[in-house]
Amino acid sequence: MDLHLFSQFLISGLIMGVLYCLMSMGINFIYGIMKVINWSMGEFFMIGAFIQYLLLESFIGAEYWYIGVIISACAVFVLGALVQVILIKPMFVGIIEAKMEYVTIITISLAIFLRNLALLIGGPYIYTPPDYAKPTQLLTLPLSGNRLVAFIGALVLLGLFYFFIKKSWTGKAFQGVAQNRAGVQTSGVNVLRYDMLAFGLGTALAGAGGALMAPIFSVHPLCGLAPTIRGFEIIVIAGLGSIPGILVAGLLLGFAESLGSAFISPSFVDIYGFILLVIVLSIKPYGMFGKAERTV
Amino acid sequence: MNLFHTKYLVFLILVLFAAFLPMYIGEYWQYVLTIAFFYAILAASWNLLSGYTGLFSLGHHSFGMIGAYTSTLLMTKAGIPFWMSIPAGILLTMLMSSLMGIMCLRVSGLYLALITWAFAEVARNYFRLHYTFTGGDRGLESPLLFGTIQPTPYYYLFLGLLIATIILIVLIMRSRIGYYLKAIRDDSIAARSMGVNIVRYKIFAFAVSSGLAGMAGAFYGHSIGLISPIMGDFNEMAMIIIFVVIGGIRTMPGPVIGAIAVRILMELLRAQSEVRILILSLLVIIIMRFFNGGLLELYRQIKQWINKDKNGGTSAYHEIETPKQGES
Amino acid sequence: MNNKNNILEMDNVVKIFGGLKANNGVSFEVEKGEIRGLIGPNGSGKTTLINQITGIYDTTEGHIRYKGKKINGLQPDVIAAMGIMRTFQVARVFLNMTVLENMLIPAFTQGQSNNEANTRAEELLDFALLSRLKNKPTKSLSGGQFMLLQIVRGFMRKGLELYVMDEPFAGVHQSIKGIIIKSIKMMNQDKNVTFLIVSHEMATISSLCSKVTVLDKGARIAEGSMKEVANIPEVIDAYLGG
Repeated sequence: MDLHLFSQFLISGLIMGVLYCLMSMGINFIYGIMKVINWSMGEFFMIGAFIQYLLLESFIGAEYWYIGVIISACAVFVLGALVQVILIKPMFVGIIEAKMEYVTIITISLAIFLRNLALLIGGPYIYTPPDYAKPTQLLTLPLSGNRLVAFIGALVLLGLFYFFIKKSWTGKAFQGVAQNRAGVQTSGVNVLRYDMLAFGLGTALAGAGGALMAPIFSVHPLCGLAPTIRGFEIIVIAGLGSIPGILVAGLLLGFAESLGSAFISPSFVDIYGFILLVIVLSIKPYGMFGKAERTV
Repeated sequence: MNLFHTKYLVFLILVLFAAFLPMYIGEYWQYVLTIAFFYAILAASWNLLSGYTGLFSLGHHSFGMIGAYTSTLLMTKAGIPFWMSIPAGILLTMLMSSLMGIMCLRVSGLYLALITWAFAEVARNYFRLHYTFTGGDRGLESPLLFGTIQPTPYYYLFLGLLIATIILIVLIMRSRIGYYLKAIRDDSIAARSMGVNIVRYKIFAFAVSSGLAGMAGAFYGHSIGLISPIMGDFNEMAMIIIFVVIGGIRTMPGPVIGAIAVRILMELLRAQSEVRILILSLLVIIIMRFFNGGLLELYRQIKQWINKDKNGGTSAYHEIETPKQGES
Repeated sequence: MNNKNNILEMDNVVKIFGGLKANNGVSFEVEKGEIRGLIGPNGSGKTTLINQITGIYDTTEGHIRYKGKKINGLQPDVIAAMGIMRTFQVARVFLNMTVLENMLIPAFTQGQSNNEANTRAEELLDFALLSRLKNKPTKSLSGGQFMLLQIVRGFMRKGLELYVMDEPFAGVHQSIKGIIIKSIKMMNQDKNVTFLIVSHEMATISSLCSKVTVLDKGARIAEGSMKEVANIPEVIDAYLGG
């Protein structure tokens, strides 16, 4: 295997890793605020991809794909917030037991519902929006324009997200809710509203991911499945609740998949991530940066 | 105590009904019901672990797959007969899930869900990857238990397995162990402080529920004749959850009724494959959102609404404020 | 220190959570048959101490001895089996079981027969004036009844020797409080059960406890009868000071 080919795979791994991080970030962010996992993230990814496709095909045209991404993200944000308010919030008002069971069952059912709704409406077809950018070169390595653009887009989004959380007032309020839900209310923070915003924001990240990756993976009702699996793999590898861990795990996953495809076989791409997962968990059972929560 | 007898009577009638049914329905529907019984076992055993004990597992379906593959591979590759390969499948699933239970003793419910999810995906991919050994995505042929493709013997086999499962779970839940399991779900810290050995009983819940799933899976392979990694696909887990929620989580009849009813419904709506699953998932969402107890809870609530005027409400507070005669 | 009459010995117990030192070398002994009060302002480390006695946490440093035997680090169910019961500040009852079933759990784990357990439960529920509710789902009870149920549930244990209670009177109706106090006195006199009670209710503690131990900022600052302790400047400071 020559260096040239190897580097290609490395870059591919790097790009995919960052893209998957977008998904995990959304999942982890919602977890951080509401302490629950949204199993339907993949479907919001899919919805974002579909909205982007429709926008590019019918409304704004292919050159303005980046505006499409923004609109898709906003639309998914609204949808996510609505879902949260209608389905999830009621369990968080007052003290209700077994929230985890409730949210898990509801989000899994929602995922199935949305997936099949998309199948019903859109049919079992695959739609591919036009390329966002022409294939280019990084030094001498061929690079898909779409992937490069999605990579940059993901970095921008992740960067924006980071600054938002760390620097803005709302971001700090989010940090407060994540760290001390009861305490932060005494500062006048309406945690229920932040729940809704967090859910919207998390799903928006997934939706943006879907929009960005539309030309890479194509748009179809089941296009959210693979990102979901990667998203959760990353969280298990990183450990729940660790944001920097997600970036590390995302990159590792990206590399594992591309190197596995390169050296072993490209037909079992899904599996390499899980091999990595098994290896990591056998050394650190709670994830690389996770810790056992003492629940006695 | 009247209710006690009524439930048993109803159960007996249903069993008899199911026993005579094959005489009136064609082979096709016997086949459909056999598979429905398989899912009912998965649903009831999942309810034991995740409903009653509160250990929310998203990997239950994979034990069905592991049981199936273990028994089938032992037979086809090692020439081991049924009566050894099937128990081996059961024991292996019990062992694996016990290990997983031990690993997850001190983690949150959320993490347990993630880990069991990951386990199921790893298992599924394992069987896909080693395709020269397991047949991979193309599936693996499994020797038929009764050497025939007639569905009737398998119908009775699974009916029997289902009845045995139901009886076992009822016995467990009515015993002291059942109390401990429910206590673990309600408040494991309090349970521990009251002397419940939660390590032992959590592992018990894992082992028994997964053993039942493994048993169902092993027999399933030898009844259908073909197994594949699809058995471990997440959709299967979602269906189990759907069955249990629609029927009524944390009830005895709920998972069984849910599984059988939904499977029959799905068969009837075969032509509209997206619509049927759309309706089912929507139903689950509505039930969870508005009726947390499934069909049985709806029935209970209707009964309560009818009986509303008979009790004067539970103002137990009165009990305390007016001390009995002779008390200070 | 190794007094044979001591049922419980806290030996320089230190508990550190990350950056927070909740207990800073707490030492005291409780004699068998005492009703001991454990008081101190909020954040003085009382609940943390209780949690170490009952096995929810291990000590970071120091030992806890029960009847001379080291118990820190043991699991809660093992500690329960040794004759120690506890109640929680926020009552932990099994909400999805009936009141009676709640009572049966500690009896079952001890191996009591169904008959024994049921009889005992009925007696205790009778005493607590909760009999009429025995088959009702626990979640239908009031907050004060949760606390009462929690407390009498512990009395189901045969051979109960040490009962540790965390704020048993907090937010509880006067009449329920009366039953709780009565049950404590009764168990103490008839069965020689030792009590260690954390509470803020000075009047109640005063009448119930012969001796109190005062904690502040993670350390023991005083010990003695309520009257003695109330006049110690450090104690007054602890409660009133910033």
